[in-house]
Amino acid sequence: MQVVAQRASSSDRFVPGTEIAPGLFLTEVIVDWGRPTPLIDTAFARWEEPVAHGRLLHFDTETTGLAGGTGARAWMIGAGDWLADGRFRLRQLTTTTMGAETAMLRTFAQWLQPDTVLVSYNGKCYDSPLLKTRYRLARLPDPLFGLGHLDLLHPVRRRWKGLWENCRLVTAERELLGVVREDDLPGSEAPAAWLAYLRGGSAHNLRRVLAHNAHDLKSLAGVLLHLARLPQ
Amino acid sequence: MNALPDRYASDELVLRDPNDGRTLAQRLTKRYAARITGAFVVPGREGSFAPLPDDLPPALAHALRSRGIDRLYSHQAEAWAATQCGAHVAIVTPTASGKSLCYTLPVITAAMTQHAKALYLFPTKALAQDQVAELLELNQAGDLGVKAFTFDGDTPGDARQAIRLHGDIVVSNPDMLHQAILPHHTKWAQFFENLRYVVIDEVHTYCGVFGSHVANVIRRLKRVCAFYGVTPQFILCSATIGNPKEHAEALIEDAVTAITESGAPTGDKHVLLWNPPVVNPDLGLRASARSQTNRIARLAIKSGMKTLVFAQSRTMVEVLTKYLKDVFDSDPRKPARIRAYRGGYLPKERRAAEREMRAGSIDGIVSTSALELGVDIGSLDVVVLNGYPGSVAATWQRFGRAGRRQQSALGVLVASSDPLDQYLVRHPEFFQGAPPEHARIQPDQPLILLDHIRCAAFELPFIGDEMFGTEVATPWLDVLGEEGVLHREGDRWEWIADSYPAIAVSLRSVADGNFVVVDRTNGRQTIIAEVDYTAAPVTLYEGAIHMIQSVPYQVERLDWEGRKAYVTRTHVDYYTDAIDYTKLKVLDCFDTSNAGCGQAHHGEVHVVRRVPGYKKIRFYSHENIGYGPVNLPDQELHTTAVWWQLPQAVLDAAFEQRQQALDGFLGAAYALHIVATVAVMAEARDLQKSVGSGDGAWFVSADITGRGQVRGTDCQPAAMTADAPFTPTVYLYDAFPGGIGQSEPLFNLREDLVAQSVTLIERCDCRGGCPGCVGPVLAADEDAATTPKALALRVLALLVAL
Repeated sequence: MQVVAQRASSSDRFVPGTEIAPGLFLTEVIVDWGRPTPLIDTAFARWEEPVAHGRLLHFDTETTGLAGGTGARAWMIGAGDWLADGRFRLRQLTTTTMGAETAMLRTFAQWLQPDTVLVSYNGKCYDSPLLKTRYRLARLPDPLFGLGHLDLLHPVRRRWKGLWENCRLVTAERELLGVVREDDLPGSEAPAAWLAYLRGGSAHNLRRVLAHNAHDLKSLAGVLLHLARLPQ
Repeated sequence: MNALPDRYASDELVLRDPNDGRTLAQRLTKRYAARITGAFVVPGREGSFAPLPDDLPPALAHALRSRGIDRLYSHQAEAWAATQCGAHVAIVTPTASGKSLCYTLPVITAAMTQHAKALYLFPTKALAQDQVAELLELNQAGDLGVKAFTFDGDTPGDARQAIRLHGDIVVSNPDMLHQAILPHHTKWAQFFENLRYVVIDEVHTYCGVFGSHVANVIRRLKRVCAFYGVTPQFILCSATIGNPKEHAEALIEDAVTAITESGAPTGDKHVLLWNPPVVNPDLGLRASARSQTNRIARLAIKSGMKTLVFAQSRTMVEVLTKYLKDVFDSDPRKPARIRAYRGGYLPKERRAAEREMRAGSIDGIVSTSALELGVDIGSLDVVVLNGYPGSVAATWQRFGRAGRRQQSALGVLVASSDPLDQYLVRHPEFFQGAPPEHARIQPDQPLILLDHIRCAAFELPFIGDEMFGTEVATPWLDVLGEEGVLHREGDRWEWIADSYPAIAVSLRSVADGNFVVVDRTNGRQTIIAEVDYTAAPVTLYEGAIHMIQSVPYQVERLDWEGRKAYVTRTHVDYYTDAIDYTKLKVLDCFDTSNAGCGQAHHGEVHVVRRVPGYKKIRFYSHENIGYGPVNLPDQELHTTAVWWQLPQAVLDAAFEQRQQALDGFLGAAYALHIVATVAVMAEARDLQKSVGSGDGAWFVSADITGRGQVRGTDCQPAAMTADAPFTPTVYLYDAFPGGIGQSEPLFNLREDLVAQSVTLIERCDCRGGCPGCVGPVLAADEDAATTPKALALRVLALLVAL
């Protein structure tokens, strides 16, 4: 038996950002992060050419679950990229209704150019197929089709599997960047956080997921730069 | 050859000239006239042909000719014409009549000319593999460039992507469609966008619970197709059933064109109905069907005829295989001539058996219903049925296995002591004239429907007052919303839970979770078999002898939660047979009507089934050599039932003792179950009977003498005090959670059922009761007025409409 839906209404319903379409909130912050060189060496991923940092788009989704199939959806998409001046831009699209999904997918598609290179952690197996499914269900063209994709999980595994306790992103950022998170909401609780909000509950955990997602994006960029600088 | 003297080797019945079913039938009839209650010939038929259609692509016509096909059977040509008009088509012709060409032609043509895709569904993986092999051969013969793949649980992950993108014909099964394709339909988008044909073969197997599930999977398939803007054409094929068009239309919920005249030539088929001789007239006991089947099969194999024996249970397959192997495979240095074939073997072993049969190196094969379907095992001469398969349709499907070579073939139905069997062989005119049964499905059965609306909502959101099948889905969506798996926003219901619902829904059985049988002999850890959930309590209890290819293994430990049975190889001279008890309680009465001095009801019941122990039965002599206890959880189910009750005052007036009334109810239940099974054409296992009190306080089982023994809720024998309330009740219930729609038709037929039971018992030749009427009874010296037969008639007389 499933858990009976929780329908408690809460007064804490604040979702950060600007409502750019009904139910769709956009946050954008620009930070100093990573100091990228103009060209990022991608030999760690066995790519022959380096990639200009402006082409890279780090992305990470928060979803309703890991079960897979057409019933799983992304309720937010976070993306991080370096601007021409080397500063790091963090953008997050958060839906507060199911109906806002289409607007989110359209907005994210606008962030992608034909020469964009995606950067993710396990995105080839998880985030990217999930988004492809959502675009298909929304009857929208798939903007991820044909884009380069650096999935950092694989090079991290190749190098450190067996040396670290595991190869999750939190482990990589601790080992490589010396970052230790405090008060981080585990990613596994993201589905429940959104569901509770959707059913009228508090937005408190939803905001913690956004913070977690932003943290993931910064770590992703940090791990990328670390890998790019390693002697091959 | 066998060093032991063999009295059959010199038998004059052994044929000199093999492959002649007619002569064997004649000799058997002459020698065993008393055992043969019916003999008839289904005459063969000349073929009816048509030229290859002009509108076939030339390359395909060329490929057909190079495979030796330069004309079509008339039904194949009709199927071509109907599909080219755009109709949904149902083709109903016997085994080996070239059904597959009926769908191969339109499908390959569409793939060649329009790059159209096709989805094939077969009930088993084995049939799917046969089909792909056939398609590949045709493709190669004409260099047609059509790509066909199987897609099933064994398809490796890296091949799946290529199949989704490049397969012109994807050959799968309903379970894969349900659990792997539909829930991931976006990955199959290109396939669905170009899907032109859906081919569903062996649709007669999609009846009852399984069929009701499959009808809902088809609803989901059509829903997903609609999303991709396609409405594929359905081509369905069936073995002979009574209502092929109606059944096909029920499955796809659309009109179909039915093609029912086969143009394939056939040889004469000789059919014998065989009743084992009576060995104890007082008890109405006959020699076992097993011994007779064994005898007929030995004779046929010795005559050089390829012989297939169908047995009703996996255990019986193993017993018969052992008996035949004892005769024909006594020399271990020689390749085996006898093979067993049944579900529960690993696929590799089944494929090997199929290959050996096709190659002709096997002379005798013993199978369960697993071989009823179109698995290609080559030509056979003789089919022996050890017991009536439960329906006329299944009997003909099994007989259909013999006689592929346009020679006369022989089919023998050997009756068991089962009342249905006895009813049939004693009324050969019934069998000869009976139309094959109707396949029935109940797609709107609430539990099944809810499961599939759940799966459908996962695949695509429900919008507005969307229909699912014949009903508006909204009330069901509310239920799923309450459960928390769907979220409603405006007029859309969207999946919200972190789960994959299709995994939890099994199309084939009520409770999922097959048991694996692990061999631990000499420290091994090898999986040697699988057993489905419903069969586990009666086959895998600790102490059970579990036979595989007639090798006995003993179950040492059953891990019920972990769905594992640990066995070791053993050497015993017995097999085991589970004892099971059932008790019922009425939960809700939907409808009531007077039935004579009592009442008939229809409603919802709670059923508890318990396996308290098992019997050990010695091979060959079949004497009972001991009992063992079984300690398993009760199997519980809510279902629907029809039941009859008589008031206490009426019973007290009609019977001197309560025991007599109980015996009467037990006998009445037995007879009612026989006539009801025939009336709704149910499989005997889908409809069950029980006698108990209306409130579930006690139930009655037959003891070894055939007399009623009252048992309390703990299944232990109980005594009833004289002043306790006494409302014995006879139940006929649906053996599926929630019911599958049998009890209401039975309620509507209630008066006929009672009247037919009276006739059945009155016309039976036995003295005091026998397996053909009120159940087996021990001879007793009591007076005729209190035989179980008389008592059952007394109960039924009180229920006959006034």
